[in-house]
Amino acid sequence: MLQYYIRLALKSLRRTPGLTALMVGAIALGIAACIVTLTVYHAMSGNPIWWKNKVLYAVTMDSWGADSPHDPQHPTLAPPQLTYMDATALMRSDIPKRKVIMTQELGTLTGAPGQSMPMHVMARATTQDFFSMFDVPFQYGGGWHGADLAALPEIVLSQEVNDSLFGGSDSVGRTILWNNIRFRVVGVLRHWAPLPRFYDVVDGAFATPEDTDQVFVPFSWVTTLRAMPDGNTDCHIHGPVANYQAFLTSECIWIEMWVELPNAARRERFQAYMDAYWAAQRREGRFPRPLNNHLTNVSQWLMINGVVSSDSRILLRVAFAFLVVCLINTVGILLTKFLRAAPTVGVRRALGASRRQIFTQHLVEVAMVSMAGALLGLALGAAGLSGVQAIYAQDNAYGMLAHFDPLGVAWALALAALSTLAAGLYPAWSIGRLPPAGYLKSR
Amino acid sequence: MMSPNVRPVLSALLRNRTGALLVALEIAIALAVMVNAAWIVAQRIHEMQKPSGLDIRDTFAIGVSALTSHSDLGAAQRADLAYLRSLPGVIAAAATSSVPFSHFGQGDSVARDPGPRAPAIDERSMQVDEAALATLGVRILAGRNFTAAEIQPLSSRMFAASPEVLITESLARKLFSDGNAVGKPIYLSDDNGTPMTVVGITSDFVASVWGKPSYDTALYPQTPGSYGNYFCLVRTRPGDTVALMNTALRHLATSNPDRVVFLAQTLQYYRQRVDAENRDMVIFLALVTALILSVTCLGIFGLTAFNVSARTKQIGTLRAVGARKRDVVAHFLIENAIVLFAGALAGCTLALAVGYWLSDQYQLPRLDLHYLAIGVVGVAVLGQLAAWQPARRAASVPPSVATRTV
Repeated sequence: MLQYYIRLALKSLRRTPGLTALMVGAIALGIAACIVTLTVYHAMSGNPIWWKNKVLYAVTMDSWGADSPHDPQHPTLAPPQLTYMDATALMRSDIPKRKVIMTQELGTLTGAPGQSMPMHVMARATTQDFFSMFDVPFQYGGGWHGADLAALPEIVLSQEVNDSLFGGSDSVGRTILWNNIRFRVVGVLRHWAPLPRFYDVVDGAFATPEDTDQVFVPFSWVTTLRAMPDGNTDCHIHGPVANYQAFLTSECIWIEMWVELPNAARRERFQAYMDAYWAAQRREGRFPRPLNNHLTNVSQWLMINGVVSSDSRILLRVAFAFLVVCLINTVGILLTKFLRAAPTVGVRRALGASRRQIFTQHLVEVAMVSMAGALLGLALGAAGLSGVQAIYAQDNAYGMLAHFDPLGVAWALALAALSTLAAGLYPAWSIGRLPPAGYLKSR
Repeated sequence: MMSPNVRPVLSALLRNRTGALLVALEIAIALAVMVNAAWIVAQRIHEMQKPSGLDIRDTFAIGVSALTSHSDLGAAQRADLAYLRSLPGVIAAAATSSVPFSHFGQGDSVARDPGPRAPAIDERSMQVDEAALATLGVRILAGRNFTAAEIQPLSSRMFAASPEVLITESLARKLFSDGNAVGKPIYLSDDNGTPMTVVGITSDFVASVWGKPSYDTALYPQTPGSYGNYFCLVRTRPGDTVALMNTALRHLATSNPDRVVFLAQTLQYYRQRVDAENRDMVIFLALVTALILSVTCLGIFGLTAFNVSARTKQIGTLRAVGARKRDVVAHFLIENAIVLFAGALAGCTLALAVGYWLSDQYQLPRLDLHYLAIGVVGVAVLGQLAAWQPARRAASVPPSVATRTV
């Protein structure tokens, strides 16, 4: 029966090639526009580590001054960063399965074989769990282990830095100077640049080429070197800081902290640990603001920090408006087309076809149109994305922002199938409802 | 002449209600999207055309960073500036803490009154020397420039208040409603209340950009470098910029092993990068709006064409009983006009709602009603043009059709 319906549909579609092309084209355009904007939107808002969304939490604690909230526009939010005192205190807890603190350091790399000029790099100063916690892929070697302050400090290079300094060869075990201090290379990443850079949205979720993480160094070296952080640093008590020790014990916030809590029980225990620490500190005269300790998962973190640009949200809505117009157009065309063929339907009904059969037959036709539109839309969408990518590449602003991922394809196909079927349901249903008699006698 | 025509048109229209309703809905959405997209595009073009207030084309920036914590950045800076100023073709050079239109820079907020509760205005900060204004191509509108003696030497302190400050005209107007700020004190809002005297007001210009480019800039007489890096801004003779930048880069990269050059870029590059975001939005909005309009026109065309072919016999009858070709065309155009009118009416409501929502959510200025009026006229003209060809075809139906049975 299905074969017969397909033959009927093909015949009907071939009878009006112009209308068919119009429907397929309109659906394809609408879907292509949605694919392009959805992919860009997905890249910007998407959770780049969704598979760990339920176990990764950003740690925040309101250490801000009594006068005003850290962000007057969002007074309920705790500041997104921690003080050195609080970060190191929370790091002492054994409750999280993994835990990291981090900041950003500008620095230079020298001393690679054949290196003629010092290389200016953005370093992420962090702790050893960083790589396992965020599933960072390695090309060679791995992260540093155990005590951060080993005899020879250890460094991890990004693939890009390794390519330019060591020609892409396995540099594990070689040494290099970071800020004039000898470091041993223990690992080289495979290209890794999560978008958005969820773990440090404060310093820019969409890093421009001048501030992408290029090397990774143990956090303890920051304080050993008495280096001021180059990431965002906010202090609510102003005035000059006397010395480095005073900076470390100040109320300045400059550290991002993440923990991995595999289940709700551990989460509650860690929350209790934070609250107890907070209460103890408050008794000593810190924390003038009300208790506001939070563990925030990645997707909420991206949301409350307003990572998605308003441009891409507007574009997404415009694209959906376009798809809706295309679908309305298709409904209109299908409706008129089916109505025009009403006399034939009348004959088929009179010959014994049931309403359901008429409905199914027309739905088959709708499905064929929608499939053709979806496929064409996918092709157009892929072409549009490479166009968008060319624009971004030319602007040199964001790296590989818009790439066509399998998830996107699945989404697009589902979107196409669902929307067109929805659009086709009404025409197919209304043609099935027509009383056959009228059409039999009129002509 | 018109009024007797409307009734039969209306009854004809009501026979294919669903089709007409769908097309009216398309028109409504298309109108709402078009009007608001045009409004956003206009804002973005305005944004892109805003003058930078700087000599963008002839200026480049060189970023220098300390290689070790004990590098003498102050001495390095003096040597770098002396070298840059000695280059033939260089008009002026200055050391700053930020690069206009780039992300390199700082921001703070300043207020008329001391204390954390005083209403503060966000500004982009620049630490500069007395040569910075000449390098940037920024004029003094009132008051005076910094003197060489006022420039504080490099300190390891983080950004802090200075006894003197220069602010742009925009910032002056936001702080003091009459813009008359010279000689008055202002305060960093997160400082302990050190007064900073406004010694002069400069013409508006864009410093570093975080979010949208802004003219609210404050200049502090401080030798940059407390963050471990500084930027040399160099203004050259027109046309020599890139060549001089490469010459300077080659020299500075090797002249002092205690510090490294990490950036050499023209201001034009950063300006283009900021403009690119607006340009992309304009392109995409224009493209999608054009597509929505064309799909809607196709919908109108399809509806009229269907009506014409479904009513061939009736048209023949009309012609046979004396209707002129003109009348047939008028019939379909009036029918289309009714659909357009209904669509435009719904579209206006939708456009206003979307415009309100946009201004509410994205702090966009409220939709200008001129855009709506032009949008309605545009949609009406386009819609009638789309129906024109099928209406003409209807007119060519011969009266004899009425006598035939299909």
